[in-house]
Amino acid sequence: MKQIILITDGCSNVGVSPVVAAAHAQAEGITVNVVGVLDDGDIGEFGAAEINEIAAAGGGLSRLVHMRELARTVQMMTRKTVMHTIQNAVHKELQQVLGTSSIESLPPGKRGDVVRMMDELGETAPLRVALLIDASASMKPKLQAVEEAIRDLMISLQARQGKSEISVFHFPGPRYGDDCCMDLGWTSTLSGIPALFAKLQMQGTTPTGPALLEVIDFYRKDDYGRKNRDGTDGMKSGYVV
Amino acid sequence: MATSFDPGLSPGMVITGKWKQGSYRIDRLLGEGANGKVYLVEHHRGQYALKVGSDAVDLQSEVNVLQSLALQTKGSAESFLVEVDDFQHPDGRTYPFYVMRYVRGMLLADYLEREGSDWFPLVGFHLLGKLANLHEAGWVFGDLKMENVLVADYGRSQLVDYGGVTAVGKSVRQFTEIYDRGYWSAGSRKADAGYDLFSFAVLFIQLFERRRFSQLVHTLLPQNRVPEELLKLVRTNTTLSPLEEWFSRAFAGEFASTREAAAAWQLQLHQSGIKRRSAPAPRWMKRLFIASALLLTITIILMIRVGM
Repeated sequence: MKQIILITDGCSNVGVSPVVAAAHAQAEGITVNVVGVLDDGDIGEFGAAEINEIAAAGGGLSRLVHMRELARTVQMMTRKTVMHTIQNAVHKELQQVLGTSSIESLPPGKRGDVVRMMDELGETAPLRVALLIDASASMKPKLQAVEEAIRDLMISLQARQGKSEISVFHFPGPRYGDDCCMDLGWTSTLSGIPALFAKLQMQGTTPTGPALLEVIDFYRKDDYGRKNRDGTDGMKSGYVV
Repeated sequence: MATSFDPGLSPGMVITGKWKQGSYRIDRLLGEGANGKVYLVEHHRGQYALKVGSDAVDLQSEVNVLQSLALQTKGSAESFLVEVDDFQHPDGRTYPFYVMRYVRGMLLADYLEREGSDWFPLVGFHLLGKLANLHEAGWVFGDLKMENVLVADYGRSQLVDYGGVTAVGKSVRQFTEIYDRGYWSAGSRKADAGYDLFSFAVLFIQLFERRRFSQLVHTLLPQNRVPEELLKLVRTNTTLSPLEEWFSRAFAGEFASTREAAAAWQLQLHQSGIKRRSAPAPRWMKRLFIASALLLTITIILMIRVGM
């Protein structure tokens, strides 16, 4: 199961539409969830609408939350999306085997068996979650909460029986014109997470769409991170597609 | 994510099961769990609790746990699942629900406030017993928190809302941050007996140090959220300090089983003599005593005067 969680606080303003990018992800079997992080201000009507549209195109969930609720939201979203992915697969099976398309149309007795199997899959199926973090200037005061949410997600994923990995990206990249930069390649340990964004240079633009496309590409080329690792301080060099 | 789910059921409404045709008259809303809302209902002249789910899969998953538990504890008072069905709301939508035994009781904090904190060792012991039963059957409660414990007469405590119950060895299905072992950097979110004991310990600290506990949660930086901070609260609280060793073992996951934790709970409270210590007599009792003594004196004086 493949997921992208986009954490942002505003509108994209550069490059391809993030809604188009999210639809691409969905087409490749990657679910896109979006969290809009608020501080005391407001995200704006336009930002909220974009967040909902990205998630709708990406087949995922969208939530607007305060920083305090970020960790809980990311954790719940991941879990719900896992169940949702399995549910979709099971619905297809049900259609073929029983000619009924939903769990609800089964009598409670039979429903129990199907749900038991789904719970088992949800716990054991391999899972990958790529976190894509908006690092535009307005996100700076929220990055500690983001780091904490990533750590918390890792704790939850480590408790699963199936193989679970995360990777972390932020956008825009450090050099002018870079849309996206990888901070952490696929990992299932907590070791790379502390001080993930310590050296981050905040940029002005928000190339959400292009950054999403890069993460999709990362999923395609599984070994991408290994080639680009500089291995000194845990920060990877920005990469160009 | 708090899902505000409202199946729109009002007192007096009667819902009828789609598969088994049982009918239930809604009395009132009892509470809200993670997967749905719980109502007090009347059915065959008896009172039951009925949980309406927002999602058929989530609710069924909870029902599966309750059914396994019912099989394991056959005939005992623990098996309280009565019926599982769906109903069609007048608005056309179909909602899943299940019916269970109605557990009467009050929240832990309210109970101790009303009955006095002398009851706390016993309430804690009962609760550890409930958890031990669950653990011995291969399950972990998961979402142990203030709202999920009800206390009935004589300190008998009950666990309610089985939405977080998880088979040992799997990832805990539902938890509440402040009671969570992972949140306090004290271990994983894999279901084991120690997970519930950790939450139990946090719960009792919250009970007796509510203000300082909530201050701690709001001010500590994530990297400083460690059990040692909780133990500081235990040490400075006169009710909890005799149990310091117990709390420290619970936080470190050092109890081999929940039965052992329950035994240690009793032992440490006994050694500290907390059982012999009793709260000072209430003011009304003192006043009553003075009044009756006064009455006796007056009676005696009157009797002497009358010359008896």
